[in-house]
Amino acid sequence: MVFILGVNFPERNLVKKSLESFFGIGNHTSARLLSRFHIHPTCKIGELGNKQVLDITAALTDMKIENDLRRQVLDNIKRLKDIGTYRGRRHALGLPVRGQNTRSQIKTAIKLNRIERRLG
Amino acid sequence: MVSSFCWSCLTRLPTASPRAMLPPTLTPQRVAAFHTSSTLLASPLKKKSTGNVAAPRYRQANSARMKKKGKAVERARPPPAGERRALRKRIVLSNPNALEVEDMQDISAENMVDSRLHGAVLGLPVPMLDQLRAVQAFKPKQGWSIFRRPGTVMRRESLELGRLIDSISNNPEDKGKVVKRVLTGAKGTGKTVHLLQAMAMAFTKEWVVITVPECQDLVLANTSYAPLSDKTPNVYVQNEATAALLNRTVTANQKVLSTLKVSREHPALKSLVARDMTLQDLANIGIQDPAAAWAVFQALWTELAATSAAPGFEAGFSPRPPMLVAVDGIGHWMKETKYRSAKFEPVHAHDLVFVQHFLSLLKPGNNQQSALPNGGILLYATSGSNSPSVYSLDVALKQVAARRQGVTPSSSNFPQPAAYSKIDQRVFAALDAPASSIPTEGALELQTMAGVSRDEARGFMEYFARSGLLRQHVTEEWVNEKWTLAGGGVIGELEMLGRRLTVPAQVE
Repeated sequence: MVFILGVNFPERNLVKKSLESFFGIGNHTSARLLSRFHIHPTCKIGELGNKQVLDITAALTDMKIENDLRRQVLDNIKRLKDIGTYRGRRHALGLPVRGQNTRSQIKTAIKLNRIERRLG
Repeated sequence: MVSSFCWSCLTRLPTASPRAMLPPTLTPQRVAAFHTSSTLLASPLKKKSTGNVAAPRYRQANSARMKKKGKAVERARPPPAGERRALRKRIVLSNPNALEVEDMQDISAENMVDSRLHGAVLGLPVPMLDQLRAVQAFKPKQGWSIFRRPGTVMRRESLELGRLIDSISNNPEDKGKVVKRVLTGAKGTGKTVHLLQAMAMAFTKEWVVITVPECQDLVLANTSYAPLSDKTPNVYVQNEATAALLNRTVTANQKVLSTLKVSREHPALKSLVARDMTLQDLANIGIQDPAAAWAVFQALWTELAATSAAPGFEAGFSPRPPMLVAVDGIGHWMKETKYRSAKFEPVHAHDLVFVQHFLSLLKPGNNQQSALPNGGILLYATSGSNSPSVYSLDVALKQVAARRQGVTPSSSNFPQPAAYSKIDQRVFAALDAPASSIPTEGALELQTMAGVSRDEARGFMEYFARSGLLRQHVTEEWVNEKWTLAGGGVIGELEMLGRRLTVPAQVE
């Protein structure tokens, strides 16, 4: 088990996949992170050297990921609400924001959009 | 007349209630209900459950919800890690059902130069099979598994190669001679088996054999890589792959390497190298510690290329044997790899120090030393079945052939890439090997493998017949037919025709 940014990953997992488990890191970012530290794409967590683990953790701490990123998203929505935009209103009403029809199929908007949106 | 009461239902007797008539029982008795219906026994007090149909929550859909399909049933456990790969890469070299071919000779120092054996199938000596397996000379898709034991046809090219290896080993005039060849040819023409024959012959002559059995493995980004040093951030070293190369080399050449001693200081390895270490122990350092593998490989190469010992090391020095360097599938080394630089740009194969080393051998040696100072052969084969299309390589190989025929690069006959085509200058640079100033070092040649001759095809088909795979009378006419069907004796196609079991119709 190896700790990367406070998360414990089993040694048999791919490094790329493990990085992508963080909110805010997808294929694009993880591929660049790997190449930055000269880790090949099929590398497993167990094959990482100590220095590489520290490097990755250091790089991840500098990035806006996980809760910081989620909070940023909330702030953006809050800004829309505060300045009274249509988009902000739609967020608050729990309705789709981007002009979708609302006759059916607006489950995601119902689930996510509310006055006080949750962090998760 | 109809009876006034119902026979089947005495409780409905109008006269009296039978229940009241029954004497009260003191002990609880289990009495079968008279009625099949239980409605009367049901307690009237018990309320009917209303069912848990909750009112729909605020803005919740009220339409019928389809039950989602459950998760997929858990299948049997997958095989353990590595097992499927092992099965895929398994190499079977023997088939106990095939007939033993009597009087089949093995490749040996004597018969590899014997032109009387032209067209015959020579077996690979059984003790050598472990060595050949160690250098991964056999490939999984080759048809070794249909014969009793592996054997190869001595075709014209093999005999010529045998003579070459023999003369470099024994002939004092050819001592230190270096032959550099790039093997090309269509799919199935026997390039990889030619390499295998070269390895077998080199092993019989106790050469050091160094192989790269699959060039693709180095560029697929499946093994670790790192910048070589801080000074050269754009050159990459592959430690695991180098350790694997050392492992192959040591396992296959144990007999030779264990007799040779270290002949100089190796500053890069510092205290790891002892004074009277054998080269086998030297290579084992790199196998055990892949981080040092590249430095160890360089040290091993320097040792094998040494012509004399450094001052102070003369005591245990013995002359180094010639070397065979066999590389299969160089097409993959002529383009960008799947590795990425720190800036996320693709890494060119020529930026891998492993590849650089093997490609630099094609160039004429420097410092008055040939690429292999103790002599030897470089055989670099392209692949017919697994090769990327690299236009620059095609043109560069034509240029190699032209240069060999004496066409000067300034001549108008010299092959040039088509105008406006996308070319890779590094490929041209790698294969642009002018003639060496050292007399023992030959220039880079291009050897094109084609189909076998009819005589060789006949020998090959007879081998099938004598192994019991072919129940046909091998006549001249029949062989000619198969030779033509095989695209003019392409040996891979001939093998496919031979292994197709045909039983002639019984005439009564």
